[in-house]
Amino acid sequence: MNESDYKVTVAKDLADLIPVFMRNRRKEVETLRVALAAADFEQLRQLGHRMKGVGNSYGFAHVSTLGKYIEDGARSGDRASLQAWIAEYDEYLAKVQIAYE
Amino acid sequence: MRILLIDDDEDLRNLLSRYIRSQWSDAEIEAYDPLERDLPEATFALGSYDVVVLDYMLGRGDGLEWLKVLKQRTDCPKILFLTGAGNEIIAVRAMKAGADDYQRKQELTREKLIASIRELTANPVERTVSPDLAARLEGHNLGAKVRIPGIKVLHLIGEGGTARVYLASRENDDEPLVVKILRQEIVLNQKALERFMEEYSLVERIQSRHVARIYGHGNYQSHAYLVMEFFEGGDLNKRLGGKAVAPSEALKFFRELMFALGDIHEKGILHRDLKPQNLMFRQDGSLAIVDFGIAKNIAAADRTGAGEVLGTPRYMSPEQVQGRALDLRTDIYSAGVLLYQMLTGRHMFDGETAMEVAMHHLNTEPPPLPAGLADYERLMEKLVEKDREARFRNADEVIGFLSRKFEQDLPARPFDKTQKLN
Repeated sequence: MNESDYKVTVAKDLADLIPVFMRNRRKEVETLRVALAAADFEQLRQLGHRMKGVGNSYGFAHVSTLGKYIEDGARSGDRASLQAWIAEYDEYLAKVQIAYE
Repeated sequence: MRILLIDDDEDLRNLLSRYIRSQWSDAEIEAYDPLERDLPEATFALGSYDVVVLDYMLGRGDGLEWLKVLKQRTDCPKILFLTGAGNEIIAVRAMKAGADDYQRKQELTREKLIASIRELTANPVERTVSPDLAARLEGHNLGAKVRIPGIKVLHLIGEGGTARVYLASRENDDEPLVVKILRQEIVLNQKALERFMEEYSLVERIQSRHVARIYGHGNYQSHAYLVMEFFEGGDLNKRLGGKAVAPSEALKFFRELMFALGDIHEKGILHRDLKPQNLMFRQDGSLAIVDFGIAKNIAAADRTGAGEVLGTPRYMSPEQVQGRALDLRTDIYSAGVLLYQMLTGRHMFDGETAMEVAMHHLNTEPPPLPAGLADYERLMEKLVEKDREARFRNADEVIGFLSRKFEQDLPARPFDKTQKLN
């Protein structure tokens, strides 16, 4: 991943929404892991789809990109790829830097 | 203003509520979580809301089904339906089921949401609506009125200088389509009407994967219309979003554009108005040219009056600015200007007025590419030579150059050039 992928700019008036957004994303990683362990591909697909929808809306384009990969991986039942994308999502959430403008 | 917001995602509900309150601070918003609550029952005061915002995926329910049920109620307010990007068939079904507007969820911005709610809550008899809103309402009314055999006109999705653009669908299979309805003021202009109708006959003759498919044209009462392919991937302007794309991607798009030009030039047609808004993407990522409104048959008598300049100044060739007779090389130049924009994220020339920009094409050397793009310098020079004699002569020459210089960066052509669509 490029350094720039970890930088996100969010409108100032949305600042108070970000802690809830980030908390929900971290919970999402755990839910994804549980779904993968249970081979629940339908839930993985739904979670990926939700990430795709919500990421861009808040300015976190990489969340949407990973959501698409997870949705596609769930459709094809590709466990190895799903594991890698979930790990990348976890790392992304740990490193992302948010600026408010 | 009272709004009912039905979405299974807490973050989306929070975000949309914030957007609405940023415009209408006293708005009452009920966030309705379909994971916690079932479809509103008959006793639910649906009529007390001005607008319902309804998502198409509700976690444990189908937004389309909810829409159908809600719309059966006599007290149902206007519904803004949120769909997925690149899945226009959902939008078609939503509009057929009675949605009053739709927005692609992933592309929904504060501005789009506010504009949509404003439109849905506007009273057309009020005198206070803005001219833009009045024009949109007029566009909606026109779309509801026009009858095209086998086609249902569903929703106004864009307005251009010559035509209004609608989402439509084939009645028998819900296939998403676009209907362009020429503006009345253009219909009154015989020359402009001829150009619009020529778009149909030209494009129909081309039958190429790289050109928008046309499904029909005609007149309804005094409204001239064109029915064409819907592009889920949007246009190049949207894809660029004011930024550069990776050089390999720019090269890929550019090569597709060259195939497109090769196909139209082979039929003796110049486009003459290449610009990012006229390059559309399908869901599979393939690219096609649209809007032949000012395209012209190379062999036909030139209907353009002396000194009349058509095209978009940012992408005009020097000979186009001068109003000289044009050949294939004018499109090659414009494609070069587009490549420059894709590689750098900037326009090749800027100016205070359209004329100033146009004159740069005539008199100013193109700015050099940034150092990291030196590999593309020679290609760019040969595309945007002011002297067309020194330019690539045709699309095949460009494709040959790309194959020799950038072979490792280019995918195989996805479709054989000789293969035509039925």
